Amino acid sequence: MENALGLAGYQSTMIIIVFVVLGFGIAALFAALFLPTRWRLPYSMEFLFVGLLLVMVWYGDKQSAAIYEAYQAPLEEEGVLDVGYDPSEGEFDRSIRVLAFQWGFAFVDEEDAISRNAAVVQPGEKVLFSLFANDVIHGFNIPAAGITAEFEPGAERNVWIRAPQEPGKYLIQCLNYCGVGHSQMKAWLVVQGDEENDEGEA
Amino acid sequence: MASAHDAERMGATPHWEPEDVIGKMTLSALLFSHDYRHIAIKGMLTSVVMLGLGGLMAILFRTELAYPDIQILDARPYMSLMTLHGMFMVFGFIIPFVVSIMYYMMPKILGTDELLWARGAQWSYWLLILAAVLLVISRPDFTWTFYPPMSLRVGGNLVWMGYLAVFLVALSEFIAGAVLLKNGLAAAKRKGYSKLPLMGWGAISEGLLLLLSTPILGLVGIVMLTDWLEVTALFDPARGGNVMTFMFMFWFYGHPAVYLPLMPAVAILYTLLPRFLGRPIWSYWSAVSAFALLTVLGFIVYPHHFQPAENVSGWLQRSVQILTLLIFVPSTLHVFNWIATLWAGKIPDSARRAVPFKFMIASIFFLMYGGVTAYVNAQIATDSDFVHNTYFVPAHFHAMFVGFMANMAMAGIYYLYPYFTARMYSQKLGDTHFWFWQIGIFTKVTMMYLLGFNYFPRWVVDYLDLPQWSIPQLILTGAAYLIGLGFILFVYNIMRSSTRGAVVSGDPWAIEGGEDTGSAEPVPAE
Repeated sequence: MENALGLAGYQSTMIIIVFVVLGFGIAALFAALFLPTRWRLPYSMEFLFVGLLLVMVWYGDKQSAAIYEAYQAPLEEEGVLDVGYDPSEGEFDRSIRVLAFQWGFAFVDEEDAISRNAAVVQPGEKVLFSLFANDVIHGFNIPAAGITAEFEPGAERNVWIRAPQEPGKYLIQCLNYCGVGHSQMKAWLVVQGDEENDEGEA
Repeated sequence: MASAHDAERMGATPHWEPEDVIGKMTLSALLFSHDYRHIAIKGMLTSVVMLGLGGLMAILFRTELAYPDIQILDARPYMSLMTLHGMFMVFGFIIPFVVSIMYYMMPKILGTDELLWARGAQWSYWLLILAAVLLVISRPDFTWTFYPPMSLRVGGNLVWMGYLAVFLVALSEFIAGAVLLKNGLAAAKRKGYSKLPLMGWGAISEGLLLLLSTPILGLVGIVMLTDWLEVTALFDPARGGNVMTFMFMFWFYGHPAVYLPLMPAVAILYTLLPRFLGRPIWSYWSAVSAFALLTVLGFIVYPHHFQPAENVSGWLQRSVQILTLLIFVPSTLHVFNWIATLWAGKIPDSARRAVPFKFMIASIFFLMYGGVTAYVNAQIATDSDFVHNTYFVPAHFHAMFVGFMANMAMAGIYYLYPYFTARMYSQKLGDTHFWFWQIGIFTKVTMMYLLGFNYFPRWVVDYLDLPQWSIPQLILTGAAYLIGLGFILFVYNIMRSSTRGAVVSGDPWAIEGGEDTGSAEPVPAE
């Protein structure tokens, strides 16, 4: 999975750490229950263990912050977060305004063309999404790009993704409960192929 | 390694005999008596009813979720059931259940045979019942977090009752907090802080959490009501309000709220473990510091519930991430302590056989299973990928709420059963219940993790027919049925055994095969 946050490495490291810690805990619990050996742990063991945890905390925080800052950097450098940002001048290959409403998404491209259910992009493009809602809190999630955002009404939220290399239709969904139609609030990220010209109507 | 105070902290009060409280009590005593035993039994029985109702709702909507598309429930009834399931389970079942067990044990710690401020506990109970009734009538469909402005625009004409219920829940929990803090501090005063049993430390932490967090929830309930009545517009951006105000206020209660059932459950574990093993807890002060740390951290990590958000960024986001990760430390101190206690000596056969002991071990397992993934949840980079608002979050809190806290509640009720009825539960049914639950909960939590990892969104009645979504959902529904079946066995067991179970006299949890352990009191100090 081509990942916008560049998480593939980081994510699996974190999940491996989780499994190692869990395995260690379960092994200790089962050993305490079923091993014939009885062991009175010295108190120093606990300090050692807390020390290990603190290292884990430090590592997790460092990695996460580095990844997230690297992700935020293009937004900050480009001035996307500033007032009066002009998407046509930025380094993003494509900029799409997204209006989320009860219950659906409208995608407005740079030519002000509106699509009710599809964001059409080219493979591997760097795409900026400016999210906006004026009714309730919505979510915006593209599983294939590994990005989730929650945005409250009235405030604009900017996220960017690296579009998948493989042409096809990818799910875009709302992840925040926004009323009874929440489960129907889906759209498609359409990555156009070179030969076929998919219109992207789902 | 017991410290010098341990003999004293284990207590030296005479043995507490099983008695048939339930058989001898009248209905009016059950409903209105200020006797702590009646208050506790009433709270626990009501909680079991709430668990049954909340579970039934879960079974209904899980049936709907077994296959993609809509079969038996439409979106609105589905969301009503989902909302009520959350509210019943958290406010109706798990918090009152473990708090009731505390009401029962604190007088034993105090040695008064009387719960201080029992009248408060009574009020707290009845206010909660009123809130539950209002909730059922109003049938809210805005999830238990009722984020405005969505929550102001859904629901019927009766939805104001839901906001009123939120206020009443806050009031009820506030009073319960006052009662617990009073009893905890009184016990500390009587015994001295260095000799206070860990149940007492649990009561103090729980009391502080409740007292400090619930006023904000009460305020949120009132403002939601006035916003809905269009008197104010604090939370509605369309009329000049701000959603972030709600977020910060609600989660200031919302995060301590998830520790509300945790603290008593941990305290019960600290109480029962030495009782079954016949030896004190490995380290008293490590447990006390863990309680204190968890209480403090509980109040400052709440923005992790709604980040990444526009207003939670920069240094605030970073410090919340670090503080959230630091919760690992106190929770691990608890788990470490329990495992070290188990390891320190022989585990008597009587403990291995006892159903409450089994539930306790399962609780420790699930606290680890749910806890370790917090490492991924807390990190902002993974959070803004697959964690935030996918099934990863319900997986985490179901492992904690059901796997740890509900299992501990069950350990508590099986443990207290002979003291309430003077009879023993059926071992065979208890064991079956245990295995149904553990297999069910493990499967369910694992499937939820898997779904979360595959970006399955929360709060949906209908979903796309993708294999990575529909297969775990089907297994998840099966697991829910298994848990439901276990619950039915449990109810049958406690009803049948109250008249037909083996009669118990003396110590129902006497330690077999060990040397004389000295303490046979019902609530050993640690």
